[in-house]
Amino acid sequence: MAIIERPTPADTISLRMPVTPAQSMGIVRRPVTSTGWKSWVFTVDHKKIGIMYGVFAMFFFIVGGVEALLIRLQLAAPDGKILSADLYNQMFTMHATTMIFLFAMPMAAAFANYFLPLQLGARDVAFPRLNALGLWLLVAGGLILNSSWFLGGAADGGWFMYSPNSGPVFSPSNGVDFWTIGVQIAGFGSLVSSINLIVTILNMRAPGMTLMKMPVFCWMIMVVQFLLVFSLPVITVALVLLTFQRSFGATFFDVAQGADPLLWQHLFWIFGHPEVYVLILPAFGIISEVLPTFSRKPLFGYPFVVFSGASIGLVGFGVWSHHMFATGLGPISVAAFSIATMAIAIPTGVKIFNWTLTMWGGKIWYSTAMKFAIGLIVLFTIGGLSGVTHAVAPSDTQQTDTYYIVAHFHYVLVGGMVFGLFSGFYYWWPKVFGKMLNEKLGGWNFWLMVIGMNMTFGPMHILGLQGQPRRMYVWTEARAGEGFFNFGFWNRVASLGSFILAIGILIFLINVVHTARKGKPAPLDPWDARTLEWITTSPPKEHNFDRIPVVHHLDEFFHRKYQENTTTGEMVQIATGAQLVQAEEDNADAHIHLPSPSYWPIAIAVGVGTLGLGVVYGVPIMIVGVLIILGSAFGFVLEPSVADDIDYDPPMSGGQDTKELAPLG
Amino acid sequence: MSHDSTLTGSEQNLTIFKGMIHSARLRRIGLALGASSAMFLSGCASNAPQDTWQPKGENAEKINTLQWMVFPLAGIVGVLVFSLIGYILWRFRDKGQAIPHQSHGNPTIEITLTIIPALILSVVGVFTFRGIFQLAQTNDTQMVINVTGQQWWWEYDYPAQVVNGVEIAQPIITSGQLVIPTGTKVLLRETSRDVIHSYWIPALNGKKDAVPGRINLLRIQANKPGIFAGQCSEFCGLSHANMRMEAVALSPEDFATWIANQQRNAESPAQATLADEGETVFLNQCIRCHQVNGLKKADGTAAIAAPDENVYAGAAPNLTHLMSRNTFAGAAFDLLTDGCRKNVWSAAPEEFGAVYLKGVIADCLNQTNIRRWLRNAPAMKPMYANPVKLEASDGKYRGMPNLGLSESDIDKLVAYLSTLK
Repeated sequence: MAIIERPTPADTISLRMPVTPAQSMGIVRRPVTSTGWKSWVFTVDHKKIGIMYGVFAMFFFIVGGVEALLIRLQLAAPDGKILSADLYNQMFTMHATTMIFLFAMPMAAAFANYFLPLQLGARDVAFPRLNALGLWLLVAGGLILNSSWFLGGAADGGWFMYSPNSGPVFSPSNGVDFWTIGVQIAGFGSLVSSINLIVTILNMRAPGMTLMKMPVFCWMIMVVQFLLVFSLPVITVALVLLTFQRSFGATFFDVAQGADPLLWQHLFWIFGHPEVYVLILPAFGIISEVLPTFSRKPLFGYPFVVFSGASIGLVGFGVWSHHMFATGLGPISVAAFSIATMAIAIPTGVKIFNWTLTMWGGKIWYSTAMKFAIGLIVLFTIGGLSGVTHAVAPSDTQQTDTYYIVAHFHYVLVGGMVFGLFSGFYYWWPKVFGKMLNEKLGGWNFWLMVIGMNMTFGPMHILGLQGQPRRMYVWTEARAGEGFFNFGFWNRVASLGSFILAIGILIFLINVVHTARKGKPAPLDPWDARTLEWITTSPPKEHNFDRIPVVHHLDEFFHRKYQENTTTGEMVQIATGAQLVQAEEDNADAHIHLPSPSYWPIAIAVGVGTLGLGVVYGVPIMIVGVLIILGSAFGFVLEPSVADDIDYDPPMSGGQDTKELAPLG
Repeated sequence: MSHDSTLTGSEQNLTIFKGMIHSARLRRIGLALGASSAMFLSGCASNAPQDTWQPKGENAEKINTLQWMVFPLAGIVGVLVFSLIGYILWRFRDKGQAIPHQSHGNPTIEITLTIIPALILSVVGVFTFRGIFQLAQTNDTQMVINVTGQQWWWEYDYPAQVVNGVEIAQPIITSGQLVIPTGTKVLLRETSRDVIHSYWIPALNGKKDAVPGRINLLRIQANKPGIFAGQCSEFCGLSHANMRMEAVALSPEDFATWIANQQRNAESPAQATLADEGETVFLNQCIRCHQVNGLKKADGTAAIAAPDENVYAGAAPNLTHLMSRNTFAGAAFDLLTDGCRKNVWSAAPEEFGAVYLKGVIADCLNQTNIRRWLRNAPAMKPMYANPVKLEASDGKYRGMPNLGLSESDIDKLVAYLSTLK
């Protein structure tokens, strides 16, 4: 059994230690022995943080989903009366904002936080307290964003928040203020978290795991974090300018003062387009793990998948103006961005082919996780192909801002991203919770989502090409046309489909509850998996691995289980997963150091949230926020990464004896 | 079949294609595809007025050609990819075969599958490139119209010019319907007075945003007389959904007739009629924002509207020839009754001009719509007309407020407005 201990005090080591204080200088003892809710709120364990990201994201997935259903109810018939124009505009703004910033990014962060250290063979992320800070900033941002519903109305400018429509004259409620501040704070959280994950990937891989032996999921997460590091500052600048215009009378986007409204669009899409890849690449990473596992074959063309992912990330920064083909950029810009957009289809196509050929010659096991992964390939391809049709800029001038675009990006984001995430749920659920999700309910979950998603978004291709624009709170009979392609029929189909999709997702939630109550305990290696996260218990111990694994292969876990018979070429099983886990336990490391919980990440987030509310409600509240931030930041920097003796109750005796900090197993 | 897993990459590749050629399933898919595309085409015969696949002018036709290149191409690629996936899912399902050989890929196939899409896209790229520059061409323009968007309607301003030999001596300012001559290359110079809007008549061209502080160019041309629907397609706030457009194409002769009418000033109605009383109501209320050219105050001086003092965008529709157009309030509502509207929209090209130029005759006036509007405009179309919410815009309206008119005032006003032919 491994022993988790505090590190040896610095003075006994001759090497120069990092400059961190040896004692907490804070006024409060560290929450080292917390139990119950405190053990979650003050935790710095990447697994607990990952689960909290997941719960947060799932909650807002439901919120955003209800918003989507209200939108579809409103549009089910001409001249809908469910929502007023004002409420409808808030609804589609918050649906997109919620789904992107409060569901998709946090859910990807949930997977990244939980599985990066496990797949890399590490005990935690590089900066555990920053990890907690990232989560709590996101929570603060999410609460501020949604509190606007109850404080005078939500933002109503669309998630792209184009100026000058987002200015104080055209959007006089506080909704846009809450929005800019909420997105900024959530953005700080993402930025903190992305730096943390980059350092983790670059510095904390297990011995022998070169970058080209790293699981594709980790690769895709790394590309995403670089995208965030370079794109989030751009949106932050834009949001700060808008905040100053709205709250402090600046004129950055005031046309009467000589501003150019297109400045906002450039800033927004320089962030907004890489953001698209921020959303989809984690899903690509997930199914790049799922497809090989359930095909019993390595990923076809691993280096091609890795480099196509990286080049998607790179080229993703050079295509932003394809969101602006109708804004009058002039033919040279339009042509350049049109060609660049086509170019990005090539690495994307490479990925589709590689996934497809991974299954070629395989032994395909149609688990729910695999079904969702295959669903991603097919549905994302549809979205990708419709994407090529509006890379042709002249064709895009007929399609942009119509339901054709809505269809396109929902195929990419629901068919692509959401299906990828659900594939991840079914694949990794036994790892995280030690119980198997029910596969029969999984089948219903999958097929209802496939049917619902195609019924909802498939007809939108037709509606868009028939000329129904987006973001209209009503459509009118006068423009609906007749015959097979009339608006009325296809809008009804889409609305019906959205409820089928919702039922599919509801079945997932039922599955979760069912599994928690009556789920079968998961075997240690339920899927005959391939990567390091399976070489430990389910759920993993607090310290992840009893022994840090040494890596010799891509798909290390698989190669420890199977060996090729050199004469026949057949793969022969030499060990079971359970045996391998047992072997690790038997050879557990004697000394394991883990960081201690801390009050300060959540305290800083409370301060930042208060400061944000102060921007809307006045300087005194801002001052309170700043004081909280300053105090917590001091506490944050002045505490050592591992709790001091006096933090324990009763205080520890000090010295070099080994102490257990947490229950094991 | 299980020995396939030991084949080399190129052999595997060959098997893929052989498998596809011999697949009866693929042929069935082909048939189904043919049938569904036939359905698609027949469906196109009767569809929405904003259909993006029914070009009625040169630039829209160019876009349509590109669409007809890229859509079928995308469709074919999709069918090939899905057939391959379907085949793999069936062929390599778990039938109890051994754990396959752990092959890590095949660079030849990889590079081939990278180059093929790159080549296809290069071809698409060349045509796209050509199309973009052709569509940006404006140097052979034959007519110019300034198009200005504001919340939530479009103003059309025809500068003095000679079109097809017909002189527009006085600039024309109108709204509701954009009227152009057929066979003429018309350049729209777009801008906006408040937020970004987007001008889009799918049958005539793709969309182009109207951006405040900028002038964007959009060239349209209509081949035959007719009426074409459009819709503001950049989200522009509260009533974005109610900001519509209609473009009307008239033969050059009919267009000359239309111009001649638009150049006239309005004449005051005969004394002591209901319409005459309506003119007084108009002078007390509507003139604050709405101009009627030639209208005189009681003292004989010209009545000048001052929308800049009351409306944030600084403009309101010019009503001089209200009854020459079929719609009002950003083309959101019809001035024509349903039957009369249908006559206009279904008129054959050769008789369209005559039908349209009749304007809104008394029998055709949609009394319900216009009275509802005068009774309480913001209840009919959401607008920022609530004084409580006008602090941010210095007390100026965005849209038309509820004027609190009495029913008798409304009777009088409708009578007066009906004279504005």
